[in-house]
Amino acid sequence: MSEKVKVPTVGESITEVTIATWLKKDGDQVAMDEVIAELESDKATFELPAPKAGILKIVKQEGETVPVGEVICEIDTDAASKTTTPKEEPKSKASKEESKPTPSASSGPKATGEVKEMKVPAVGESITEVTISTWLKKEGDFVALDEVIAEVESDKATFELPAEAQGILKIVAQEGTTLPIGGLICKIEVAEGTPEATTSRPTETAPSQSAPSGDKSYAAGHPSSAAGKILSEKGISPDQVSGTGVGGRITKEDAVNAQAGQQKAESAAPAPTPSGTREETREKMSSIRRTIARRLVTVKNETAMLTTFNEVDMKPVMDLRSRYKDKFKEKYDVGLGFMSFFTKAVCVALQEFPAVNAYIDGDDAVYHNYCDISIAVSTPRGLVVPVIRSAELMSMAEIEKEVMRLALRGRDGKLSIEEMTGGTFSITNGGVFGSMLSTPILNPPQSAILGMHNIVQRPVAIEGEVVIRPIMYLALSYDHRIVDGKEAVSFLVKIKEMLEDPGRLILGV
Amino acid sequence: MQYNVTIIGSGPGGYVAAIRCAQLGFKTAIIEKYDVLGGTCLNVGCIPSKALLDSSEHFINAKENFKEHGIDITAPKVNIKQMITRKADVVKQNVAGIAYLMKKNKIDVHTGVGSFVDKNTIKITGKEGKESTVTTEKVIIATGSKPTPLPFASFDKKRIISSTEALELKEVPKHLIVVGGGVIGMELGSVYARLGSKVTVVEFLDSLIPTMDGTMGKELLKVTKKLGMQFYLGHKVTSIENKGKEVVLKAEDKSGKSIELKGDYCLVSIGRRPYTEGLGLDKVGIELDKGKIPVDDHLKTKADNIYAIGDVVRGAMLAHKAEEEGVMVAEQMAGQKPHINYLLIPGVVYTWPEVASVGYTEEQLKESGKAYKTGSFPYKALGRARASMDVDGLVKILADKQTDEILGVHIIGARAADMIAAGVTAMEFRASAEDVARMSHAHPTYMEAVKEACLAATANRPIHM
Repeated sequence: MSEKVKVPTVGESITEVTIATWLKKDGDQVAMDEVIAELESDKATFELPAPKAGILKIVKQEGETVPVGEVICEIDTDAASKTTTPKEEPKSKASKEESKPTPSASSGPKATGEVKEMKVPAVGESITEVTISTWLKKEGDFVALDEVIAEVESDKATFELPAEAQGILKIVAQEGTTLPIGGLICKIEVAEGTPEATTSRPTETAPSQSAPSGDKSYAAGHPSSAAGKILSEKGISPDQVSGTGVGGRITKEDAVNAQAGQQKAESAAPAPTPSGTREETREKMSSIRRTIARRLVTVKNETAMLTTFNEVDMKPVMDLRSRYKDKFKEKYDVGLGFMSFFTKAVCVALQEFPAVNAYIDGDDAVYHNYCDISIAVSTPRGLVVPVIRSAELMSMAEIEKEVMRLALRGRDGKLSIEEMTGGTFSITNGGVFGSMLSTPILNPPQSAILGMHNIVQRPVAIEGEVVIRPIMYLALSYDHRIVDGKEAVSFLVKIKEMLEDPGRLILGV
Repeated sequence: MQYNVTIIGSGPGGYVAAIRCAQLGFKTAIIEKYDVLGGTCLNVGCIPSKALLDSSEHFINAKENFKEHGIDITAPKVNIKQMITRKADVVKQNVAGIAYLMKKNKIDVHTGVGSFVDKNTIKITGKEGKESTVTTEKVIIATGSKPTPLPFASFDKKRIISSTEALELKEVPKHLIVVGGGVIGMELGSVYARLGSKVTVVEFLDSLIPTMDGTMGKELLKVTKKLGMQFYLGHKVTSIENKGKEVVLKAEDKSGKSIELKGDYCLVSIGRRPYTEGLGLDKVGIELDKGKIPVDDHLKTKADNIYAIGDVVRGAMLAHKAEEEGVMVAEQMAGQKPHINYLLIPGVVYTWPEVASVGYTEEQLKESGKAYKTGSFPYKALGRARASMDVDGLVKILADKQTDEILGVHIIGARAADMIAAGVTAMEFRASAEDVARMSHAHPTYMEAVKEACLAATANRPIHM
């Protein structure tokens, strides 16, 4: 019996995953529920447990992108009965199996003279182009069949490119080049025999007629005597300085500027001297960054986004909080923060203004009778947006606990796809970084996002008196296609009113 | 007196260190044993020998080349007394110049033998035994070197002489025997050869100026043979005897075959040794290593406030090396971080033609297994050289086989000593042979030979060959 393992449904909007790592090898004995692979979507990484015990037969390789529901491996359950036998036995059996398909799958080395053209393979449904991130082999190197020759990166993942033939590598696309699927990456001059016989480079025979005169040379990074002295006095190593002299040599001016540059970084002094460095560095954006960039522009281009503002006097919430935070903590074992107030207020307001909680799907508007609130959380890996499900049904304590749980999982990089998909409304808090006011950008396909900001003591007029109050500015960005201005403004006013009179939160008025 | 820095020795290392210290704001003193400043270099070394070299060069030009140039004169005669007097004047002017520089930089000059009492106190013993002391935070030892005598024949300063006496001779020797074919022997030997002496050089090794690139020694042998100098290479001197009016030298080659030479003077120039007598190094815990004062990369001795520079420490015994070290130590004391690239300290022999080199020799590259290429260009093929009849010599460039980076510049020929500075500059900036070859060199100049040799090294494509 052989159990086919398919890509599980990991979340609503996820249609495909990339195999990040096989933790078990082809032919390995695996136990039931043992983690056999790590899968990656564009949102998160998750683990794949074995549904049955048996011997693993890998179908899809690392780096391949596989649609949900497709088979990625098989587990030979007949072998499960043999679990008591030493591991070597199933392994050797597996290796026999493995050795069979290999020769038939790969066409053996052919006659010299043939040139194998290697093109960008179709790595996944939605992937239309890849970038050559690193050549692991050099031009003219002898490469063996299936030897990894380059690392290629899509906006979803990085994968390795194995040589499709044995022979001499001729690089066509240089590092950093972006190619469409099917684009020519390199050519391999197919060769037979051992590498020793074929590695002799024809270039050796030609005398190096011309001296190097390119931008970079053997002397790149070599400081002139005066530059060397300046650098060593500033404690800057020459390799930290990019030389502007001939062939990349470090000039005295470079050394003087390197000093100025460092000082600039050390003290963020408000009076920058005109002698500061004026270097610019250019590097390829990571594919994740490019994905973010593309999506943000898409939101800007495909929605009618605008932002409305209001301000909240936080004194009532802060008073309530300081009065009960100890008791709250004692009873629920979680701190009473502002998030629960805002989430609660948002849920009440969303139910009053259903369009803010809806989204457009083609010609339809999709409304929700529940409030799944996406909370933007900054983690070491970047911004993630986990979801508090059915927040409208939760108590303040339950919301605080859920926020804490999601934040911790986010910090540890353990958030699942499921935990990050399907929100109906988002809250982002730029105030933690000190933002006074901002216009948040929509989290598609949602139609609105609430921006919290820092709380600042401001003079405000209350009943004809100027008093100092802790004020927070609120921003609501919304998609005007589905949300009317009146609804959006009223929604935000509603939130303001509830926060300034928390009793209304209990009553839902 | 209380000083920040006290320097012992006023040679090119010491006086330059003193000036740099004063420039950096240190209260500085310099102690000199002799009544005159400047040390060996100014008084009995570089400067006086150059004075005599030029005099002898003028003489031989007048005697042998004027006619060819179309200048007819009666046969010139050597007035050795006048030559020595002029040399003394040159020295005097230079020494006075140093005294002026000390005054200008407000450096106190103490005359007498400096000797450590402890690491911060130096006793100065003057000529008449007058003693005084100075206290100082830091000390730079720059006491230089003295000629090394042969173990079996000390300098009697009459017939068996060192370079010092050779610069003071009252007569042109009939037959000058030179022991040692190094820099000093070749310089002074060639002076007297031009002035009419028969000069015989006895060298223990198989080549002249053995520390330099082999091609240089071979070329120098050729041109000095033209002068009439005779050579016994690979000969070990076994005895030298002063017989009153003549000196008798015995030597033998590697097979044991012996020779006997009779001359009126024997110049022993087998090298120099560090001079540390009377310094009282034991008082500050410094022990010599093969006669030299051990120092670290920053030229600091075992005592943490005492530095040593120049001929008393490791490295080549060259005035300009001592100068660089003096500057480096002074700047370090001021908290700066200078660096000396010892590979790029040029070596020069002031024969005529001169020999000058910087970087690696071909022998060193061979030994290290480095892949290199060479390019040479002879003076003969140079318009400028033919115009002045200085056609002896060549430029040899060594470059990295892969990168074309210049690894060594070796020149024998007219004005080589001045030309080597271009090689130092190129190598300091790690220029390739082609870099230099592509720079415009004024025509007609001797430096064109460097450009042509670089073309030859780059891809064997000199223009004028």
